Amino acid sequence: MRIFLLFLLCIPEFVLAQQKFTISGYVKDVSNGEVLIGVSILVKEMGVGATTNEYGFYSLTLPANTVTLQYSYIGYLNTTKTVSLTENLRQDIELTSEANQLEEVVIKDKEDQPTATNMDMSTNNLSISTITKIPTFMGEADVLRSLLLLPGVSTVGEGASGFNVRGGSVGQNLVLLDEAPVYNSSHLFGFFSVFNPDAVKDTKLYKGAIPSRYGGRLASLLDVRMKEGNSKKMEVNGGIGTVFSRLSVEAPIVKDKASFIVAARRSYIDVLARPFVELLQEGGALSFYDLTMKANYNISKKDRVYASGYFGRDRFMFDKQQGFSWGNATSTLRWNHLFNDKLFSNLTTVYSKYDYKLQFGDDERNKFSWNSSISNFIVKPDFSYFVNTSTEINFGGEAIYYSFEPANAVGVSEGETIDVSLEKKYNLEASLYAGSTQKVNSILSLDYGLRFSHFASYGPGTVYSYNDTIPGVRKTVTGEKTYDKGETIATYNNFQPRVSFKAQVTESSSIKGSYNRMVQYLHLISNTTASNPLDVWSPTSKNIKPELGDQFTLGYFKSLSGEQEYEFSAEAYYRATQNQIDYIDGADLLINRYLEGDLLAGKGRAYGIELYAQKKTGKINGWVSYTLGRTELQVNGINRGEWYPTRYNQTHNLKVAAFYDITKRWSVSADFVFSSGTPTTFPTSRYLQQGILIPYNVNDSRNNVTIPAYHRLDVSFRLEGKQYKGAKLRKNRDYWVFSFYNVYARKNPFSIYFSQSDERTLPGQPIDSQATQLSIIGTIIPSISYNFKF
Amino acid sequence: MKKILYTISFLVAAVAMITSCETVIDPELEKVQNVLAVDAWINDKPDKQTIMLAMTQSYFDNSLPPGVSGAIVTVTNVSTGKIFSFKEVVGGKGAYTWVPSSATEVLGKSRDNFKLTIQAQGETYESYSMMGRVPTIDSLTFTYEEESSFFPAYYNAEFWATDPIGIGDTYWIRAVKNDTLLNRPSEISVAFDAGFSNGGNFDGIQFIPPIRSSVNPFEQADDGTFLSPYDPGDSLYVELQSISLAAYNYLTQVSVQTNRPGGFSELFSSPIANVSTNITNTNANGKKAVGFFNVASISGLGKRVVKK
Repeated sequence: MRIFLLFLLCIPEFVLAQQKFTISGYVKDVSNGEVLIGVSILVKEMGVGATTNEYGFYSLTLPANTVTLQYSYIGYLNTTKTVSLTENLRQDIELTSEANQLEEVVIKDKEDQPTATNMDMSTNNLSISTITKIPTFMGEADVLRSLLLLPGVSTVGEGASGFNVRGGSVGQNLVLLDEAPVYNSSHLFGFFSVFNPDAVKDTKLYKGAIPSRYGGRLASLLDVRMKEGNSKKMEVNGGIGTVFSRLSVEAPIVKDKASFIVAARRSYIDVLARPFVELLQEGGALSFYDLTMKANYNISKKDRVYASGYFGRDRFMFDKQQGFSWGNATSTLRWNHLFNDKLFSNLTTVYSKYDYKLQFGDDERNKFSWNSSISNFIVKPDFSYFVNTSTEINFGGEAIYYSFEPANAVGVSEGETIDVSLEKKYNLEASLYAGSTQKVNSILSLDYGLRFSHFASYGPGTVYSYNDTIPGVRKTVTGEKTYDKGETIATYNNFQPRVSFKAQVTESSSIKGSYNRMVQYLHLISNTTASNPLDVWSPTSKNIKPELGDQFTLGYFKSLSGEQEYEFSAEAYYRATQNQIDYIDGADLLINRYLEGDLLAGKGRAYGIELYAQKKTGKINGWVSYTLGRTELQVNGINRGEWYPTRYNQTHNLKVAAFYDITKRWSVSADFVFSSGTPTTFPTSRYLQQGILIPYNVNDSRNNVTIPAYHRLDVSFRLEGKQYKGAKLRKNRDYWVFSFYNVYARKNPFSIYFSQSDERTLPGQPIDSQATQLSIIGTIIPSISYNFKF
Repeated sequence: MKKILYTISFLVAAVAMITSCETVIDPELEKVQNVLAVDAWINDKPDKQTIMLAMTQSYFDNSLPPGVSGAIVTVTNVSTGKIFSFKEVVGGKGAYTWVPSSATEVLGKSRDNFKLTIQAQGETYESYSMMGRVPTIDSLTFTYEEESSFFPAYYNAEFWATDPIGIGDTYWIRAVKNDTLLNRPSEISVAFDAGFSNGGNFDGIQFIPPIRSSVNPFEQADDGTFLSPYDPGDSLYVELQSISLAAYNYLTQVSVQTNRPGGFSELFSSPIANVSTNITNTNANGKKAVGFFNVASISGLGKRVVKK
């Protein structure tokens, strides 16, 4: 609490020369009532402004006067309002989307706030309209795959779950769907993501300069916000693709007051194959599906509630009992309340769970079943206080209760049951934060804040202690201590300062910098080439310290407007991390009671430069992004204790995305990706041990070579359905997408592995060894999808 | 656990219509100095015992390993004080053997501690190992499995034995089919008590099913069809070897590092890392060596498949 008070004291008190009033309200889309995030509101006479928050709310406190407010947002027509401020005013505004205009109307004078003038740095927004234009894999527009085209974002290859941001691991990204953490964002390993594009309103990726209201991961925050649902009229969207079919329905419950959206997707390869595959008729399943729902209700001018949920599952079943399945479930309840025109609050409560299940053996006397889960309950009050046009204060707290089931595993052997389950783990992460955005003068703006987090693990539980070891040799258990229910096992406290500045050098260019400390209490335990659904999240404990990261960024931003709009940015980042986890050679990560003894902790560093140029308007538009980066670890016991590059290190990473409207109905888009090969370890030597050929690196190196570079071109064509039927405008809209993934069929290397030949060799005969390069996708993949809306 | 992953990834690969492809390549490797590789897995049988000494080779050197000549190799039973001298075999490409002088002479018994000493190329290497205990194999069975959606009809072999009470017995299960040792990397089968690994609570019971049936060679015909591991007339000999905990960890690592079926399973493969060794140079600054020393007690049983 004391910290808050200190913060409040820090706020400069402005002498009131003149009476002031507040103008506030929500900004929505006129066609469907969806609130718009990040709309800029400019007071023309004074050159000051505000932007709408995640719930579409803005608040401006101005001297009593007649003012002209201009509301502008990318893809929407500017709206100007002149108001006479003689009292506090509520001004809800509805903006008209360009897409809803008749084509004869030519939009010029568009003035959405360019990056060079706002506070954002190290962030990227992807609108859903851009996501649906990017060439797709198997015809499915995909949020995560689109992110991979942004600077600083990379992946180790096709089929890998998750994504890497600025040299962070997959587990160092916090993925939020309507504020609920999503622990595995992928369907079918990494080929598709769990977000249904029909239900997504906005995605924002923070790679640095993360505001104090967020915490918990070192590398990034992906904030995905769902649509509220059309509050004006019923709307149906759907599509039939190569892999999925999808359908969403949204409609008002009470016009302009309450609405809902329900969106579902399902893969149907199994449905099509059922008549031909006996396995599927006998109860086997090969499918993935998800259901996304949201409803909201405007109780009054001051209160609005939202309920949203997601449920998705991947199932690979041999029969009714045997097989493998995994999925996320999230539910979020939110309550927006306006205490007054200046104080906006949101209370979020979340339940989210990720789990997987495996079962083998259909005989009651001989079977093995295993499930694992992580679930959490979150309460998060958040307040925004709009002090005046130059100061906004944000404060609040967050409490997360975690319950981990690392493994519930039961084997039955000849009727004898053996329970190899691991103990559950219980943890609490509680945080308080406060921050302020402040415009110091016409040049300098600051954003500063502090987050304090407390992490505790509670009994019942057993804590093992391990011996110190020679680097690289597995540790052994030296003792154990049992804790009772509710007893505190370990606690950690951390202060996380967050500071960023913007210096407006000229009207169209600025320099921005930031410093962030992030703390991560949950660790994704994975030592495989690509992250996979069986990976277990493990909490910080007596033996595992929280991961700490300090990131510095500095960037230059420039916007060019006029006939054509351009944006350029150059950003440099450096992140130093502590207590990064790596694994002892031979570590056993699954159903291992002594897992913590197989983990090693070390230091990390990641640094690089990101260059980005975007052409925002015109018949041809798109962007080019280039990242030069390096990410390394130093862990006692690996690579002779010297720094080594991580598996996801990429020196060069170039992406180009281009969109071109050929005719009114035809458009084409293309993307090209080039990235340096990722590191891997090659052996130098071989020797025999009881007839088995063993690879050996004499220098004990880790990641000492890089695999060949990755590059790929994708193209997609979009054909809009006819808009007119005769002279009449059709009510329904539809379009076809023809996409070609990996156009020139490059066999991009995913990994290189070394093995002895598969032939059986007789004793005394030499054994052949070989190196094999694996490509997950080695051909062009064409696909078609049909999408409709009515 | 890896096997489960492979099964899953196989399924996924089959259904996802993903056209993965593999190319054998010939990358350049770092040039390095070769080191001594010791292959010393000996046992309590009154038979000839062999220790192989060779130099490591460049990874793509597909010739026989170059044997090391002129070394002095001894194994000491520390518990009894008896010293066994291993003599170099002439033309043996680095083989050093000890032959018992009588039909009953053995290196030692369970719980005896052993020390290996090697003097080679001006360096002295040492290693220690304790001989563990091993249960007898009660029986071998061949169960006829009807055709299913995945597999044609086949004979599934299992060995039946009970781990003695007391946590920490570790074993290497080796199977010989028709005089051929099943010795592919994918066929390495080790057990911690009657289960896969420590902490599994499998002490003092019958070996669990996946271990029991780990003596089946899974092979495919040229057209990709699955072959029955055993057919009537085939013979199976199962050997249960006690190994030290260090050797158990070592073989687990060897399995991870050498069993690379490729394809989609590479998504879930662990990074290449050196496997451990228990051979140390008495001079900490001397040249290092790789390989392993283990003294096992052994039990075994054989049987022939009869048509059902």
